[in-house]
Amino acid sequence: MRRLLSPRNLIFALFVTLAVVPFLANKYYVFIANLVLLYMILAVGLNLLIGYAGQLAFANAAMFGIGAYGAGLLQAHFGVPYWLALPSGALIAMVSGTVMALPALRLSGIYLALVTLAFAQFTLWVMSHWDTVTFGAGGFSPPRIDFGPLPLTQPNGMYLLSWLAAAGLIWFAWNAMGSRIGRAFVAMRDGEIAAQALGIDLLRYKALAFALSGFYAGTAGALYGGVLGFVGPEGFDLLQMVLHKAAVVMGGLGSIMGSIIGAVILVVLLEVIREFKATMEIAFGGLLLAFVLFQPRGIVDLLRRKLGWDERLHYKAGPDQTAPSEPTPAATRKPAE
Amino acid sequence: MSAILSVQDVSVSFGGVDALADVSIDVEPGEIVGIIGPNGAGKTTLLNVICGMAQPNKGAIWLNGTLITGRKPSAVAGMGLGRTFQSSQLFPGMTVLENMMTGLHLASHAGLFQSAFRTSAMRREEARLRAKAEAALDFVGFRHFADRPGNALSFGQQRIVEIARALINEPKVVLLDEPAVGLSINRVAELDELLRRIRKEKGITLVMIEHVIRLVMAVSDRIVVLNSGRKIADGNPVSVRDDPLVIEAYLGAQAHA
Repeated sequence: MRRLLSPRNLIFALFVTLAVVPFLANKYYVFIANLVLLYMILAVGLNLLIGYAGQLAFANAAMFGIGAYGAGLLQAHFGVPYWLALPSGALIAMVSGTVMALPALRLSGIYLALVTLAFAQFTLWVMSHWDTVTFGAGGFSPPRIDFGPLPLTQPNGMYLLSWLAAAGLIWFAWNAMGSRIGRAFVAMRDGEIAAQALGIDLLRYKALAFALSGFYAGTAGALYGGVLGFVGPEGFDLLQMVLHKAAVVMGGLGSIMGSIIGAVILVVLLEVIREFKATMEIAFGGLLLAFVLFQPRGIVDLLRRKLGWDERLHYKAGPDQTAPSEPTPAATRKPAE
Repeated sequence: MSAILSVQDVSVSFGGVDALADVSIDVEPGEIVGIIGPNGAGKTTLLNVICGMAQPNKGAIWLNGTLITGRKPSAVAGMGLGRTFQSSQLFPGMTVLENMMTGLHLASHAGLFQSAFRTSAMRREEARLRAKAEAALDFVGFRHFADRPGNALSFGQQRIVEIARALINEPKVVLLDEPAVGLSINRVAELDELLRRIRKEKGITLVMIEHVIRLVMAVSDRIVVLNSGRKIADGNPVSVRDDPLVIEAYLGAQAHA
Protein backbone atom coordinates (compact mmCIF):
# COMPACT_ATOMS: atom_id res chain seq x y z
CA MET A 1 0.00 0.00 0.00
CA ARG A 2 2.76 2.39 0.96
CA ARG A 3 4.62 1.63 -2.22
CA LEU A 4 1.47 2.12 -4.23
CA LEU A 5 0.98 5.54 -2.66
CA SER A 6 4.47 6.77 -3.49
CA PRO A 7 4.73 10.38 -4.65
CA ARG A 8 5.66 9.31 -8.15
CA ASN A 9 2.62 7.08 -8.53
CA LEU A 10 0.31 9.73 -7.11
CA ILE A 11 1.57 12.37 -9.53
CA PHE A 12 1.08 9.89 -12.34
CA ALA A 13 -2.47 9.04 -11.21
CA LEU A 14 -3.32 12.72 -10.81
CA PHE A 15 -2.18 13.52 -14.34
CA VAL A 16 -4.07 10.57 -15.81
CA THR A 17 -7.19 11.83 -14.03
CA LEU A 18 -6.61 15.36 -15.28
CA ALA A 19 -6.12 14.02 -18.79
CA VAL A 20 -9.64 12.59 -18.96
CA VAL A 21 -11.40 15.63 -17.45
CA PRO A 22 -12.27 17.26 -20.82
CA PHE A 23 -13.96 14.04 -21.97
CA LEU A 24 -16.16 13.69 -18.91
CA ALA A 25 -16.80 17.08 -17.38
CA ASN A 26 -18.64 20.23 -18.42
CA LYS A 27 -16.97 23.49 -19.43
CA TYR A 28 -16.90 24.85 -15.91
CA TYR A 29 -15.01 21.89 -14.51
CA VAL A 30 -12.61 21.91 -17.45
CA PHE A 31 -11.85 25.55 -16.58
CA ILE A 32 -11.28 24.70 -12.91
CA ALA A 33 -9.05 21.76 -13.81
CA ASN A 34 -7.14 24.07 -16.12
CA LEU A 35 -6.59 26.50 -13.24
CA VAL A 36 -5.30 23.58 -11.17
CA LEU A 37 -2.73 22.84 -13.89
CA LEU A 38 -1.63 26.48 -14.07
CA TYR A 39 -1.33 26.82 -10.29
CA MET A 40 0.77 23.66 -10.22
CA ILE A 41 3.21 25.32 -12.61
CA LEU A 42 3.16 28.54 -10.55
CA ALA A 43 3.62 26.79 -7.22
CA VAL A 44 6.38 24.47 -8.42
CA GLY A 45 8.21 27.40 -10.03
CA LEU A 46 7.93 29.54 -6.90
CA ASN A 47 8.99 26.63 -4.73
CA LEU A 48 12.20 26.22 -6.73
CA LEU A 49 13.04 29.79 -5.79
CA ILE A 50 11.89 30.09 -2.18
CA GLY A 51 11.67 26.47 -1.04
CA TYR A 52 14.81 25.05 -2.62
CA ALA A 53 17.09 28.03 -3.29
CA GLY A 54 15.87 29.93 -0.21
CA GLN A 55 15.34 33.30 -1.91
CA LEU A 56 12.45 35.14 -0.30
CA ALA A 57 11.10 36.84 -3.44
CA PHE A 58 7.70 38.43 -3.94
CA ALA A 59 7.67 38.91 -7.68
CA ASN A 60 6.04 35.66 -8.80
CA ALA A 61 2.65 37.24 -9.51
CA ALA A 62 4.43 39.93 -11.54
CA MET A 63 6.28 37.25 -13.55
CA PHE A 64 2.94 35.53 -14.08
CA GLY A 65 1.61 38.84 -15.41
CA ILE A 66 4.67 39.50 -17.55
CA GLY A 67 4.17 36.11 -19.19
CA ALA A 68 0.50 36.84 -19.84
CA TYR A 69 1.13 40.37 -21.13
CA GLY A 70 4.22 39.30 -23.09
CA ALA A 71 2.37 36.61 -25.00
CA GLY A 72 -0.91 38.55 -25.30
CA LEU A 73 0.66 41.79 -26.53
CA LEU A 74 2.80 39.97 -29.09
CA GLN A 75 -0.41 38.47 -30.44
CA ALA A 76 -2.44 41.68 -30.24
CA HIS A 77 0.11 44.17 -31.58
CA PHE A 78 2.17 42.11 -33.99
CA GLY A 79 -0.10 39.24 -34.89
CA VAL A 80 2.44 36.73 -33.62
CA PRO A 81 0.87 33.25 -33.69
CA TYR A 82 0.18 31.72 -30.28
CA TRP A 83 2.59 28.83 -30.72
CA LEU A 84 5.35 31.44 -30.88
CA ALA A 85 3.84 33.95 -28.43
CA LEU A 86 3.56 31.33 -25.67
CA PRO A 87 7.29 30.49 -25.40
CA SER A 88 8.15 34.17 -26.02
CA GLY A 89 6.04 35.23 -23.04
CA ALA A 90 7.74 32.59 -20.92
CA LEU A 91 11.19 33.75 -22.05
CA ILE A 92 10.41 37.42 -21.40
CA ALA A 93 9.38 36.49 -17.85
CA MET A 94 12.52 34.38 -17.51
CA VAL A 95 14.73 37.34 -18.46
CA SER A 96 12.85 39.64 -16.05
CA GLY A 97 13.23 37.00 -13.36
CA THR A 98 16.95 36.77 -13.97
CA VAL A 99 17.29 40.54 -13.52
CA MET A 100 15.82 40.05 -10.02
CA ALA A 101 18.81 37.85 -9.19
CA LEU A 102 21.06 40.94 -9.19
CA PRO A 103 19.64 42.51 -6.02
CA ALA A 104 19.47 38.99 -4.53
CA LEU A 105 23.24 38.85 -4.61
CA ARG A 106 23.49 41.69 -2.13
CA LEU A 107 20.22 41.32 -0.26
CA SER A 108 18.52 38.52 1.55
CA GLY A 109 15.50 37.89 3.74
CA ILE A 110 13.21 40.83 4.33
CA TYR A 111 15.28 43.24 2.21
CA LEU A 112 15.08 40.99 -0.83
CA ALA A 113 11.36 40.64 -0.17
CA LEU A 114 10.98 44.44 -0.22
CA VAL A 115 12.94 44.95 -3.43
CA THR A 116 11.06 42.21 -5.27
CA LEU A 117 7.78 43.56 -3.94
CA ALA A 118 8.67 47.02 -5.25
CA PHE A 119 9.47 45.49 -8.62
CA ALA A 120 6.10 43.72 -8.63
CA GLN A 121 4.23 46.93 -7.80
CA PHE A 122 6.14 48.78 -10.51
CA THR A 123 5.24 46.09 -13.04
CA LEU A 124 1.60 46.35 -12.04
CA TRP A 125 1.73 50.12 -12.43
CA VAL A 126 3.18 49.80 -15.94
CA MET A 127 0.45 47.33 -16.87
CA SER A 128 -2.28 49.69 -15.67
CA HIS A 129 -0.88 52.98 -16.94
CA TRP A 130 1.10 52.52 -20.13
CA ASP A 131 -2.14 52.70 -22.09
CA THR A 132 -0.70 52.83 -25.61
CA VAL A 133 1.10 49.53 -25.18
CA THR A 134 -0.76 47.61 -22.49
CA PHE A 135 -4.29 48.94 -23.13
CA GLY A 136 -4.32 50.28 -19.56
CA ALA A 137 -6.33 49.30 -16.56
CA GLY A 138 -9.18 47.84 -18.58
CA GLY A 139 -7.03 45.08 -20.01
CA PHE A 140 -7.44 43.56 -23.46
CA SER A 141 -8.49 40.39 -25.22
CA PRO A 142 -5.80 38.63 -27.24
CA PRO A 143 -6.97 37.30 -30.63
CA ARG A 144 -8.69 33.94 -30.72
CA ILE A 145 -6.33 31.00 -30.79
CA ASP A 146 -6.85 28.62 -33.68
CA PHE A 147 -5.89 25.02 -33.00
CA GLY A 148 -6.54 23.88 -36.59
CA PRO A 149 -5.99 21.45 -38.13
CA LEU A 150 -6.56 19.75 -34.78
CA PRO A 151 -10.26 19.34 -33.95
CA LEU A 152 -10.01 21.35 -30.73
CA THR A 153 -12.03 24.21 -29.33
CA GLN A 154 -10.02 26.97 -27.66
CA PRO A 155 -10.83 25.79 -24.09
CA ASN A 156 -9.93 22.18 -24.86
CA GLY A 157 -6.85 23.15 -26.82
CA MET A 158 -5.66 25.38 -23.99
CA TYR A 159 -6.38 22.57 -21.55
CA LEU A 160 -4.24 20.18 -23.56
CA LEU A 161 -1.39 22.70 -23.75
CA SER A 162 -1.61 23.40 -20.01
CA TRP A 163 -1.61 19.69 -19.25
CA LEU A 164 1.49 19.14 -21.36
CA ALA A 165 3.26 22.17 -19.89
CA ALA A 166 2.45 21.19 -16.31
CA ALA A 167 3.50 17.57 -16.81
CA GLY A 168 6.72 18.58 -18.55
CA LEU A 169 7.68 21.31 -16.09
CA ILE A 170 6.93 19.18 -13.04
CA TRP A 171 8.98 16.33 -14.44
CA PHE A 172 11.78 18.78 -15.25
CA ALA A 173 11.77 20.25 -11.74
CA TRP A 174 11.55 16.84 -10.07
CA ASN A 175 14.65 15.58 -11.86
CA ALA A 176 16.61 18.81 -11.65
CA MET A 177 16.06 19.03 -7.89
CA GLY A 178 17.17 15.42 -7.47
CA SER A 179 20.57 16.26 -8.95
CA ARG A 180 23.63 18.36 -8.17
CA ILE A 181 21.61 21.42 -9.21
CA GLY A 182 19.08 20.73 -6.46
CA ARG A 183 21.87 20.09 -3.98
CA ALA A 184 23.49 23.41 -4.90
CA PHE A 185 20.13 25.19 -4.37
CA VAL A 186 19.56 23.59 -0.98
CA ALA A 187 23.16 24.22 0.07
CA MET A 188 22.64 27.90 -0.76
CA ARG A 189 19.42 27.95 1.27
CA ASP A 190 20.87 26.12 4.28
CA GLY A 191 24.18 27.99 4.44
CA GLU A 192 25.46 30.43 1.86
CA ILE A 193 28.89 30.64 3.40
CA ALA A 194 29.44 26.89 3.58
CA ALA A 195 28.05 26.53 0.06
CA GLN A 196 30.62 28.99 -1.26
CA ALA A 197 33.40 27.18 0.55
CA LEU A 198 32.39 24.03 -1.36
CA GLY A 199 32.78 25.89 -4.63
CA ILE A 200 29.12 26.71 -5.29
CA ASP A 201 28.99 29.95 -7.24
CA LEU A 202 26.19 31.98 -5.62
CA LEU A 203 25.71 34.33 -8.59
CA ARG A 204 25.28 31.44 -10.96
CA TYR A 205 22.82 29.45 -8.86
CA LYS A 206 20.78 32.42 -7.69
CA ALA A 207 20.46 33.55 -11.29
CA LEU A 208 19.44 30.03 -12.28
CA ALA A 209 16.81 29.85 -9.53
CA PHE A 210 15.31 33.23 -10.47
CA ALA A 211 15.42 32.37 -14.18
CA LEU A 212 13.70 29.03 -13.67
CA SER A 213 10.94 30.42 -11.49
CA GLY A 214 10.47 33.30 -13.96
CA PHE A 215 10.15 30.81 -16.79
CA TYR A 216 7.60 28.72 -14.88
CA ALA A 217 5.50 31.74 -13.90
CA GLY A 218 5.79 33.17 -17.41
CA THR A 219 4.63 29.92 -18.99
CA ALA A 220 1.65 29.83 -16.64
CA GLY A 221 0.90 33.47 -17.50
CA ALA A 222 1.07 32.97 -21.25
CA LEU A 223 -1.28 30.00 -20.89
CA TYR A 224 -3.59 31.93 -18.54
CA GLY A 225 -4.16 34.62 -21.16
CA GLY A 226 -5.23 31.97 -23.62
CA VAL A 227 -7.42 30.13 -21.13
CA LEU A 228 -9.21 33.28 -20.03
CA GLY A 229 -9.22 34.97 -23.44
CA PHE A 230 -8.48 38.15 -21.53
CA VAL A 231 -5.46 39.84 -19.95
CA GLY A 232 -5.82 42.60 -17.37
CA PRO A 233 -3.66 43.98 -14.57
CA GLU A 234 -5.91 43.22 -11.60
CA GLY A 235 -5.18 39.49 -11.82
CA PHE A 236 -1.49 39.98 -11.03
CA ASP A 237 -1.64 41.95 -7.83
CA LEU A 238 -0.53 41.21 -4.29
CA LEU A 239 -3.46 38.88 -3.67
CA GLN A 240 -2.24 36.73 -6.53
CA MET A 241 1.19 36.61 -4.87
CA VAL A 242 -0.42 35.56 -1.60
CA LEU A 243 -2.20 32.76 -3.45
CA HIS A 244 1.05 31.43 -4.91
CA LYS A 245 2.72 31.58 -1.52
CA ALA A 246 -0.27 29.90 0.09
CA ALA A 247 -0.06 27.01 -2.36
CA VAL A 248 3.66 26.58 -1.71
CA VAL A 249 3.43 26.88 2.07
CA MET A 250 0.30 24.74 2.46
CA GLY A 251 1.82 22.03 0.30
CA GLY A 252 5.29 22.17 1.73
CA LEU A 253 8.35 24.32 1.13
CA GLY A 254 11.11 22.49 -0.67
CA SER A 255 8.87 19.74 -2.04
CA ILE A 256 7.65 19.38 -5.62
CA MET A 257 4.95 16.99 -4.48
CA GLY A 258 3.90 19.54 -1.87
CA SER A 259 3.41 22.23 -4.50
CA ILE A 260 1.24 19.92 -6.56
CA ILE A 261 -0.95 19.17 -3.56
CA GLY A 262 -0.94 22.84 -2.54
CA ALA A 263 -2.11 23.93 -5.99
CA VAL A 264 -5.01 21.47 -5.99
CA ILE A 265 -6.13 22.54 -2.52
CA LEU A 266 -5.75 26.23 -3.36
CA VAL A 267 -7.91 26.13 -6.49
CA VAL A 268 -10.59 24.02 -4.82
CA LEU A 269 -10.67 26.38 -1.82
CA LEU A 270 -10.85 29.39 -4.14
CA GLU A 271 -13.92 27.94 -5.82
CA VAL A 272 -15.56 27.07 -2.53
CA ILE A 273 -15.21 30.59 -1.13
CA ARG A 274 -15.67 32.43 -4.42
CA GLU A 275 -19.08 33.65 -3.31
CA PHE A 276 -17.46 35.47 -0.42
CA LYS A 277 -14.90 37.29 -2.50
CA ALA A 278 -14.53 40.10 0.01
CA THR A 279 -13.33 37.68 2.65
CA MET A 280 -10.84 35.94 0.38
CA GLU A 281 -7.83 37.98 1.41
CA ILE A 282 -8.61 37.47 5.07
CA ALA A 283 -9.23 33.77 4.54
CA PHE A 284 -5.97 33.17 2.72
CA GLY A 285 -3.97 35.40 5.03
CA GLY A 286 -5.35 33.45 7.96
CA LEU A 287 -4.69 30.13 6.29
CA LEU A 288 -1.11 31.09 5.55
CA LEU A 289 -0.63 32.20 9.13
CA ALA A 290 -2.12 28.98 10.49
CA PHE A 291 0.21 26.88 8.39
CA VAL A 292 3.28 28.90 9.30
CA LEU A 293 2.41 28.54 12.98
CA PHE A 294 1.13 24.99 13.21
CA GLN A 295 2.35 23.06 10.17
CA PRO A 296 5.30 25.07 8.85
CA ARG A 297 6.53 22.20 6.74
CA GLY A 298 3.26 21.77 4.95
CA ILE A 299 0.84 18.97 4.22
CA VAL A 300 3.51 16.96 2.50
CA ASP A 301 5.34 16.63 5.80
CA LEU A 302 2.29 14.95 7.37
CA LEU A 303 2.13 12.58 4.41
CA ARG A 304 5.84 11.93 4.68
CA ARG A 305 5.42 10.77 8.23
CA LYS A 306 2.14 8.88 7.76
CA LEU A 307 2.91 7.29 4.42
CA GLY A 308 6.69 7.11 4.71
CA TRP A 309 7.21 9.37 1.73
CA ASP A 310 10.78 9.88 0.80
CA GLU A 311 11.26 12.80 -1.51
CA ARG A 312 14.83 13.78 -2.19
CA LEU A 313 16.25 16.85 -0.48
CA HIS A 314 13.25 17.16 1.77
CA TYR A 315 14.71 15.90 4.98
CA LYS A 316 14.78 19.00 7.11
CA ALA A 317 14.48 17.44 10.52
CA GLY A 318 12.03 19.22 12.74
CA PRO A 319 12.29 19.70 16.48
CA ASP A 320 10.67 16.27 16.88
CA GLN A 321 13.82 14.62 15.62
CA THR A 322 16.36 14.85 18.37
CA ALA A 323 20.02 14.17 17.91
CA PRO A 324 21.12 10.66 18.92
CA SER A 325 22.76 10.88 22.30
CA GLU A 326 26.29 9.84 23.06
CA PRO A 327 27.91 7.37 23.12
CA THR A 328 27.97 6.87 19.40
CA PRO A 329 30.31 4.87 17.23
CA ALA A 330 33.82 6.18 17.25
CA ALA A 331 34.40 9.26 15.19
CA THR A 332 37.58 7.86 13.87
CA ARG A 333 38.76 4.45 12.95
CA LYS A 334 42.11 3.07 13.91
CA PRO A 335 44.46 3.03 10.93
CA ALA A 336 44.52 -0.33 9.24
CA GLU A 337 47.97 -1.41 10.35
CA MET B 1 61.41 25.86 -0.54
CA SER B 2 58.06 26.06 -2.24
CA ALA B 3 55.23 26.92 0.08
CA ILE B 4 51.84 25.42 -0.80
CA LEU B 5 50.15 28.38 0.86
CA SER B 6 51.87 31.71 1.14
CA VAL B 7 50.40 34.74 2.86
CA GLN B 8 52.48 37.85 2.23
CA ASP B 9 52.19 41.13 4.15
CA VAL B 10 48.43 40.91 4.40
CA SER B 11 46.58 43.75 6.10
CA VAL B 12 42.84 44.00 6.64
CA SER B 13 41.03 46.83 8.31
CA PHE B 14 37.38 47.21 9.11
CA GLY B 15 36.34 50.84 9.52
CA GLY B 16 39.81 51.99 10.51
CA VAL B 17 40.46 49.14 12.93
CA ASP B 18 43.29 46.88 11.86
CA ALA B 19 42.08 43.31 12.02
CA LEU B 20 45.30 42.12 10.45
CA ALA B 21 48.52 44.09 10.01
CA ASP B 22 51.33 42.89 7.74
CA VAL B 23 50.86 39.21 8.45
CA SER B 24 53.04 36.78 6.50
CA ILE B 25 52.88 33.01 6.80
CA ASP B 26 54.34 30.30 4.60
CA VAL B 27 52.91 26.81 4.87
CA GLU B 28 54.88 23.87 3.48
CA PRO B 29 53.18 20.92 1.80
CA GLY B 30 52.06 18.31 4.32
CA GLU B 31 52.44 20.59 7.31
CA ILE B 32 49.93 20.99 10.09
CA VAL B 33 50.03 24.61 11.18
CA GLY B 34 48.18 25.78 14.27
CA ILE B 35 47.06 29.38 14.63
CA ILE B 36 46.46 30.59 18.15
CA GLY B 37 45.94 33.91 19.84
CA PRO B 38 43.61 35.68 22.26
CA ASN B 39 40.08 36.64 21.23
CA GLY B 40 40.06 39.39 18.63
CA ALA B 41 43.56 38.56 17.45
CA GLY B 42 42.42 38.26 13.84
CA LYS B 43 42.54 34.48 13.46
CA THR B 44 39.18 34.03 11.75
CA THR B 45 39.79 37.14 9.64
CA LEU B 46 42.99 35.51 8.44
CA LEU B 47 41.10 32.38 7.33
CA ASN B 48 38.42 34.53 5.69
CA VAL B 49 41.01 36.46 3.74
CA ILE B 50 42.72 33.28 2.59
CA CYS B 51 39.50 31.68 1.34
CA GLY B 52 38.26 34.85 -0.36
CA MET B 53 35.42 35.74 2.00
CA ALA B 54 37.15 38.97 3.00
CA GLN B 55 39.44 41.06 0.85
CA PRO B 56 42.79 42.31 2.11
CA ASN B 57 43.57 46.03 1.90
CA LYS B 58 47.14 45.11 1.19
CA GLY B 59 49.22 42.03 0.53
CA ALA B 60 48.94 38.88 -1.54
CA ILE B 61 48.06 35.23 -1.03
CA TRP B 62 49.37 32.39 -3.14
CA LEU B 63 48.00 28.87 -3.27
CA ASN B 64 50.32 26.35 -4.86
CA GLY B 65 52.04 29.11 -6.81
CA THR B 66 48.87 30.82 -8.04
CA LEU B 67 47.76 34.22 -6.82
CA ILE B 68 44.34 33.87 -5.21
CA THR B 69 43.76 37.33 -3.73
CA GLY B 70 40.67 39.02 -5.11
CA ARG B 71 39.02 35.82 -6.30
CA LYS B 72 35.56 34.67 -5.25
CA PRO B 73 35.37 32.05 -2.48
CA SER B 74 33.89 29.52 -4.88
CA ALA B 75 36.79 30.08 -7.29
CA VAL B 76 39.35 29.73 -4.50
CA ALA B 77 37.64 26.48 -3.46
CA GLY B 78 37.99 25.31 -7.04
CA MET B 79 41.72 25.87 -6.87
CA GLY B 80 42.10 23.41 -4.03
CA LEU B 81 41.24 25.15 -0.78
CA GLY B 82 38.86 23.51 1.69
CA ARG B 83 37.38 25.12 4.76
CA THR B 84 35.36 24.27 7.85
CA PHE B 85 33.62 26.72 10.16
CA GLN B 86 33.35 27.41 13.86
CA SER B 87 29.64 26.77 14.02
CA SER B 88 28.57 23.59 12.33
CA GLN B 89 27.69 24.11 8.71
CA LEU B 90 26.16 20.80 7.68
CA PHE B 91 23.13 21.44 5.50
CA PRO B 92 20.13 20.33 7.58
CA GLY B 93 17.87 19.86 4.55
CA MET B 94 20.03 17.07 3.16
CA THR B 95 21.08 13.66 4.33
CA VAL B 96 24.64 13.14 5.45
CA LEU B 97 25.37 11.40 2.13
CA GLU B 98 23.90 14.29 0.13
CA ASN B 99 26.00 16.67 2.20
CA MET B 100 29.06 14.72 1.17
CA MET B 101 27.94 14.66 -2.47
CA THR B 102 27.53 18.45 -2.33
CA GLY B 103 31.18 18.54 -1.31
CA LEU B 104 31.88 17.06 -4.74
CA HIS B 105 30.07 19.88 -6.51
CA LEU B 106 33.25 20.97 -8.27
CA ALA B 107 34.13 17.41 -9.23
CA SER B 108 30.84 17.00 -11.12
CA HIS B 109 29.67 18.69 -14.27
CA ALA B 110 26.11 17.70 -15.17
CA GLY B 111 24.24 20.84 -16.22
CA LEU B 112 20.57 21.70 -15.80
CA PHE B 113 19.35 19.90 -18.90
CA GLN B 114 21.53 16.85 -18.43
CA SER B 115 20.16 16.62 -14.89
CA ALA B 116 16.53 17.18 -15.86
CA PHE B 117 16.69 14.60 -18.65
CA ARG B 118 18.76 12.22 -16.53
CA THR B 119 21.16 11.43 -19.34
CA SER B 120 23.29 8.33 -19.01
CA ALA B 121 26.36 10.52 -18.44
CA MET B 122 24.55 12.28 -15.59
CA ARG B 123 23.48 8.97 -14.00
CA ARG B 124 27.01 7.60 -14.24
CA GLU B 125 28.33 10.76 -12.63
CA GLU B 126 25.79 10.54 -9.77
CA ALA B 127 26.81 6.92 -9.15
CA ARG B 128 30.46 7.94 -9.05
CA LEU B 129 29.72 10.79 -6.60
CA ARG B 130 27.72 8.44 -4.41
CA ALA B 131 30.52 5.87 -4.29
CA LYS B 132 33.06 8.55 -3.48
CA ALA B 133 30.82 10.04 -0.77
CA GLU B 134 30.36 6.62 0.81
CA ALA B 135 34.11 6.02 0.76
CA ALA B 136 34.68 9.40 2.41
CA LEU B 137 32.17 8.52 5.14
CA ASP B 138 34.01 5.23 5.62
CA PHE B 139 37.21 7.18 6.19
CA VAL B 140 35.70 8.74 9.32
CA GLY B 141 33.67 5.64 10.22
CA PHE B 142 30.29 7.31 9.61
CA ARG B 143 28.94 5.23 6.74
CA HIS B 144 25.97 4.12 8.87
CA PHE B 145 24.85 7.77 9.17
CA ALA B 146 24.58 8.18 5.39
CA ASP B 147 20.80 8.44 5.23
CA ARG B 148 20.26 10.54 8.35
CA PRO B 149 19.31 14.20 7.96
CA GLY B 150 22.28 16.50 8.49
CA ASN B 151 20.88 17.99 11.68
CA ALA B 152 19.92 14.66 13.26
CA LEU B 153 23.57 14.18 14.19
CA SER B 154 25.08 15.44 17.42
CA PHE B 155 27.23 18.53 17.33
CA GLY B 156 30.45 16.55 17.51
CA GLN B 157 29.33 14.15 14.80
CA GLN B 158 28.36 17.02 12.51
CA ARG B 159 31.81 18.47 13.05
CA ILE B 160 33.49 15.25 11.90
CA VAL B 161 31.21 15.00 8.84
CA GLU B 162 31.96 18.61 8.02
CA ILE B 163 35.68 17.90 8.09
CA ALA B 164 35.14 14.83 5.89
CA ARG B 165 33.09 16.97 3.50
CA ALA B 166 35.88 19.56 3.29
CA LEU B 167 38.34 16.77 2.40
CA ILE B 168 36.23 14.89 -0.11
CA ASN B 169 37.27 16.84 -3.17
CA GLU B 170 40.96 16.32 -2.34
CA PRO B 171 41.93 19.93 -1.71
CA LYS B 172 45.57 20.86 -1.35
CA VAL B 173 45.02 22.83 1.84
CA VAL B 174 42.18 22.72 4.36
CA LEU B 175 41.52 25.56 6.80
CA LEU B 176 39.88 24.42 10.02
CA ASP B 177 38.27 27.03 12.28
CA GLU B 178 38.28 25.67 15.84
CA PRO B 179 37.51 22.05 15.02
CA ALA B 180 37.53 21.07 18.70
CA VAL B 181 35.14 23.74 19.96
CA GLY B 182 32.35 22.21 22.01
CA LEU B 183 33.75 18.68 21.86
CA SER B 184 34.13 16.43 24.89
CA ILE B 185 37.62 15.31 25.95
CA ASN B 186 37.20 11.91 24.31
CA ARG B 187 36.09 13.54 21.11
CA VAL B 188 39.12 15.82 21.13
CA ALA B 189 41.37 12.76 21.32
CA GLU B 190 39.56 11.27 18.33
CA LEU B 191 39.92 14.53 16.45
CA ASP B 192 43.65 14.53 17.18
CA GLU B 193 43.91 11.08 15.63
CA LEU B 194 41.75 12.03 12.66
CA LEU B 195 43.87 15.09 11.85
CA ARG B 196 47.03 13.00 11.89
CA ARG B 197 45.42 10.39 9.64
CA ILE B 198 44.34 13.08 7.18
CA ARG B 199 47.90 14.22 6.81
CA LYS B 200 49.38 10.74 6.73
CA GLU B 201 46.88 8.99 4.44
CA LYS B 202 45.74 11.85 2.25
CA GLY B 203 48.75 14.16 2.34
CA ILE B 204 46.52 17.19 2.81
CA THR B 205 48.04 20.28 4.39
CA LEU B 206 46.09 21.61 7.38
CA VAL B 207 45.91 25.10 8.83
CA MET B 208 43.81 25.29 11.96
CA ILE B 209 42.70 27.81 14.48
CA GLU B 210 42.32 26.15 17.84
CA HIS B 211 41.75 27.20 21.40
CA VAL B 212 42.21 23.75 22.86
CA ILE B 213 45.90 24.28 23.49
CA ARG B 214 46.61 20.65 24.31
CA LEU B 215 45.30 19.57 20.89
CA VAL B 216 47.06 22.26 18.94
CA MET B 217 50.37 21.68 20.72
CA ALA B 218 50.18 17.92 20.18
CA VAL B 219 49.16 17.86 16.57
CA SER B 220 50.81 20.91 14.99
CA ASP B 221 54.24 20.93 13.36
CA ARG B 222 54.34 24.65 13.71
CA ILE B 223 52.37 27.28 15.56
CA VAL B 224 51.70 30.84 14.55
CA VAL B 225 50.59 33.24 17.26
CA LEU B 226 48.51 36.31 16.44
CA ASN B 227 47.81 39.16 18.80
CA SER B 228 45.87 42.32 17.88
CA GLY B 229 46.21 41.51 14.20
CA ARG B 230 49.97 41.02 14.26
CA LYS B 231 52.04 37.87 14.10
CA ILE B 232 54.03 37.73 17.32
CA ALA B 233 55.50 34.25 17.08
CA ASP B 234 55.99 31.51 14.51
CA GLY B 235 57.83 28.31 15.35
CA ASN B 236 57.64 24.79 16.76
CA PRO B 237 55.20 24.23 19.63
CA VAL B 238 57.86 24.15 22.35
CA SER B 239 59.58 27.37 21.33
CA VAL B 240 56.25 29.14 20.98
CA ARG B 241 55.08 27.95 24.38
CA ASP B 242 58.17 29.41 26.04
CA ASP B 243 58.16 32.65 24.06
CA PRO B 244 57.85 35.60 26.50
CA LEU B 245 55.85 37.62 23.96
CA VAL B 246 53.28 34.83 23.72
CA ILE B 247 53.03 34.48 27.49
CA GLU B 248 52.53 38.21 27.74
CA ALA B 249 49.80 38.18 25.11
CA TYR B 250 47.89 35.45 26.89
CA LEU B 251 48.49 36.33 30.51
CA GLY B 252 49.40 40.01 30.61
CA ALA B 253 52.74 41.79 31.07
CA GLN B 254 53.28 41.02 34.73
CA ALA B 255 53.14 37.27 34.27
CA HIS B 256 56.79 36.89 33.36
CA ALA B 257 58.07 39.86 35.29
